[in-house]
Amino acid sequence: MGLGDKGVSRRGLLQLGAGAAGLYAMRDLAMVSSFGAPVGGGYRALVCVFLYGGNDSFNLLVPTSTARYAEYLAARQNLAVPVEDLLPIAPTTSDGITYGIHPSCPELRTLFDAGQLAIVRNVGTLIAPLTKAQYQSGSSAVPPQLFSHSDQQFQWQTGVSGSVENVGWGGRVADVAGNLNLGSQVAMNMSLSGSNTFQVGHDTLPYNLGTNGAIQLNGLFQNWNQDRTAAFETLLDAPHSNRLVRQFAGIQRQAIDVQGVVTSALASAAPLTTVFPNSGLGKQLKMVARMIAIRANLSASRQVFFVSRGGFDTHDDQEQDQPGLYADISQCLAAFQAAMVELGIADSVTAFTGSDFGRTLTSNGDGSDHGWGSHHLVLGGGVRGGDLYGTMPSFQMGGPDDVGGGRLLPTTSVDQYSATLARWYGLTGPQITSVFPNVGNFATSDLGFLT
Amino acid sequence: MDRRTIHRDAPAEARSGWKICQGAAAIAIAGLAGCGGGGSSGGGDSLPPITATADVPASDADASRFLTQATFGPRRSDIALLNANGFTGWIEWQKILPISLQRPGLEALDVTGDVYQQHRVYSWWRNAVVGPDQLRQRMAFALSQIFVVSDVAGSLGNDPIGMAEYYDILTRNALGNYRELLEQVTLSPVMGRYLSMLGNEKADPVHNIRPDENYAREVMQLFTIGLYELNPDGTRQLDGSGDPIPTYDQADIENFARVFTGWTYADADSWHWPDENYRPMQPWLGYHDTGAKTLLNGLVLSSNQTPLEDLEAALDNLFLHQNVGPFISRLLIQRLVTSNPSPEYVGRVAEVFADDGTGERGDLFEVAKAILLDDEARNGHTNDPVNFGKLKEPLLRQTALWRAFQASSTLGTYQDGWPEGPWGQAPLRSPSVFNFYSPSYRPPGEMLDNGLFGPEFQITTHTLITSGTNRLHDLVLWLNDGNTSVDSDDVVIHTAYERSLANDPVALVDHLNLLLMGGQMSSWMHDVVVDRASHVSMADGGYDRVTEAVYLIVTSPEGAVQR
Repeated sequence: MGLGDKGVSRRGLLQLGAGAAGLYAMRDLAMVSSFGAPVGGGYRALVCVFLYGGNDSFNLLVPTSTARYAEYLAARQNLAVPVEDLLPIAPTTSDGITYGIHPSCPELRTLFDAGQLAIVRNVGTLIAPLTKAQYQSGSSAVPPQLFSHSDQQFQWQTGVSGSVENVGWGGRVADVAGNLNLGSQVAMNMSLSGSNTFQVGHDTLPYNLGTNGAIQLNGLFQNWNQDRTAAFETLLDAPHSNRLVRQFAGIQRQAIDVQGVVTSALASAAPLTTVFPNSGLGKQLKMVARMIAIRANLSASRQVFFVSRGGFDTHDDQEQDQPGLYADISQCLAAFQAAMVELGIADSVTAFTGSDFGRTLTSNGDGSDHGWGSHHLVLGGGVRGGDLYGTMPSFQMGGPDDVGGGRLLPTTSVDQYSATLARWYGLTGPQITSVFPNVGNFATSDLGFLT
Repeated sequence: MDRRTIHRDAPAEARSGWKICQGAAAIAIAGLAGCGGGGSSGGGDSLPPITATADVPASDADASRFLTQATFGPRRSDIALLNANGFTGWIEWQKILPISLQRPGLEALDVTGDVYQQHRVYSWWRNAVVGPDQLRQRMAFALSQIFVVSDVAGSLGNDPIGMAEYYDILTRNALGNYRELLEQVTLSPVMGRYLSMLGNEKADPVHNIRPDENYAREVMQLFTIGLYELNPDGTRQLDGSGDPIPTYDQADIENFARVFTGWTYADADSWHWPDENYRPMQPWLGYHDTGAKTLLNGLVLSSNQTPLEDLEAALDNLFLHQNVGPFISRLLIQRLVTSNPSPEYVGRVAEVFADDGTGERGDLFEVAKAILLDDEARNGHTNDPVNFGKLKEPLLRQTALWRAFQASSTLGTYQDGWPEGPWGQAPLRSPSVFNFYSPSYRPPGEMLDNGLFGPEFQITTHTLITSGTNRLHDLVLWLNDGNTSVDSDDVVIHTAYERSLANDPVALVDHLNLLLMGGQMSSWMHDVVVDRASHVSMADGGYDRVTEAVYLIVTSPEGAVQR
């Protein structure tokens, strides 16, 4: 019995596909070469900040021009933010409307003013451009299961409405760009918020780590317990016949292999001086910043991170809960940007929000229900900030953008929004259309909010 | 076609009321199951004499496999009991055992001190580990992952007694009727707060205020019919273009949202006050939308019905939908037996859901029985060894360990209040109404490539797999009866029987294989564990040898998967 025979251990990894330990499946490389390698050089990171539950962003960015605010107030009623409380902003490009940001977000206003934050308006899941008449008549393709949390999260994260394939656009991007991290001991895609569809590719498995870094196994891998460790690893790396057993073994094996690399790299890095909020999102973003700080130790020239915050499903008590939710986003994003500046890497890191859907403009008494289009934030030194992108929808009830109850028909698709981010990450034209098969249905795959 | 026979003629008050113990009353054998006394009173291990012999387990391993599916973990005594009485006899006996509840114990504690959510979790552990009504408890835990509420939601975090009563609703009805359960869940003020039906008002068109759609949507998507029209075997129906057919649209949701208006706390003085943590919500006519409503399959509720009449009709409309049987059957099979049941298996169970043989629809006891006695449950491990089984839920890995070795603390309590730290799972504490994991989660890699579901893998991240293994390290290698420095609240495993075998490592591992792995340990793994155990000294009387072997087994990939 070859106890501790590490020869078997790599087998499980290969079966699980690329991700850890710098192993990339052949079809991954084949895919890259067929499109030509992605733009190399330098370092780039994308940080997806997913707001679970469906963020009511129509109170985050509010039109303040008299007529527009009147429409907003008429639609939102008791959910509306008083106009005098809003923090005015001055977008570079004027569309004739004045705007304010929610009073809980002074940090976001500062970032906007400093040109580091852009807001993309009324983004949502679409298969192709859609008018209200087409939506109502059913004459054009509409994303399946609109307004359902699980389905719309899935479509946001896959970047392909209507697809049933369980791979996300962050994963497909890593499939294409994986060779840029060749030799890295850890996966390109790292989640601080557990399993998600966004980061899973055909050949890419995300690595999950906690807000304190990678966890070490107790009572194993020390001199005094070598025999136990040998038995443990032998049981782990056995040629298991059941697929669920193999899956479990593969995850534990990756966790062991990557933990040492991550832990020692983190230990070698200088501590960040930027102070992060002590919230769940703050802790996640702090660990992202720390991982970016050790990118060279990890041989990573491209990284895709995933963090999240829940609590946005404000059917109830929206007035009480929303300020706290917004304040947390605002403070956490500001701290993250400050940390990127501290690391001197701000131009190479872009954080962006995603969410299940927007919410109804109308009230259900003390909250809002599941909607469709919503505004999103893009932050970083590479962002053409201080400006608004996309089209501001009409807030008129029963108007051209209202498909019922103040659910707004998106005017920009998730595909376009995501493709713009992927292009900045380094993907070229054919790679963009390969990762976002529906993006060609829209006028542009580059919304221009990144340099 | 309403095949449901119970409760149809009962007065509405009795059907929805708190005071009777419906689930049990409808099915219990006289004199045994009352309205659940306090906590886990011992039910006695005396079974009715065995009548049928056809379903006696073929072996101890066979018995242990069954108990892994039907309970929170096999014990030696359970295997003996099952062997002596057969599968059916054991199941029938389980049904009549007194019901182990949570709220009575918490209320008793409330008299002398403060009660927090961890106390609710302690009582969950106690009922899972030593409650005699194991099948009911296991079903209740499965149901708690379908009819999800969570103390993560701010307003519920401060209400452990209300949450405990919510769990007790699931427990009382776990072997009762699904329709009754659906109604009690719907009218629970805990669910009312969680999915904001409580305080939901009719529309105010002047202010663009419309009824809250939260409960209307999730009761359909998650608790009854799901998103797509299903065939009787749970596979999706397809339209002419080969696309799945949605079960409802936004207009349906808006109609159901109007149904669920006008409910608030029991005996409230005003519309929202004072709160009341567990008696069923009561209707206020003035806040109810009294217009006509069109529900599924063209059912029209006429105008001016009472809130209760509307609610009963709407729940019947959902309950009688053809999707409910296959939809709920698949979810329950995934919680008890296997992540990837065949359509035939789902279909057979759904058939029992539709009619238990006496004309009753939604009989959860017969559904549980059908799930556990199905050929696929009993023989899936040999018929499809590559794909059959499920990753054990994290909490079940811990309960199985504690049951196998009669774990207890000096205080007699099970004080593990925050198991989600190492495990990513705790009773009634999921991050959202979508539970800890999706029933349709496909873990990336080989399983995704082969179209296999593995819900529990969604919380098996690199972090949690490691913290879970570390938790088992502590539970086995530290918190055992060989440790003389444990605290009075530490839950400790007892290994006397295993130590009596420890001089013979093969016998020891054979026994552990039976107890912890339903006899499914590969011979290869068996050799590794025997080899390692035989190298651990017996100088301490076997404590170290036993716990070393247990640790290796419960942390191993084979040990983590129920087959």
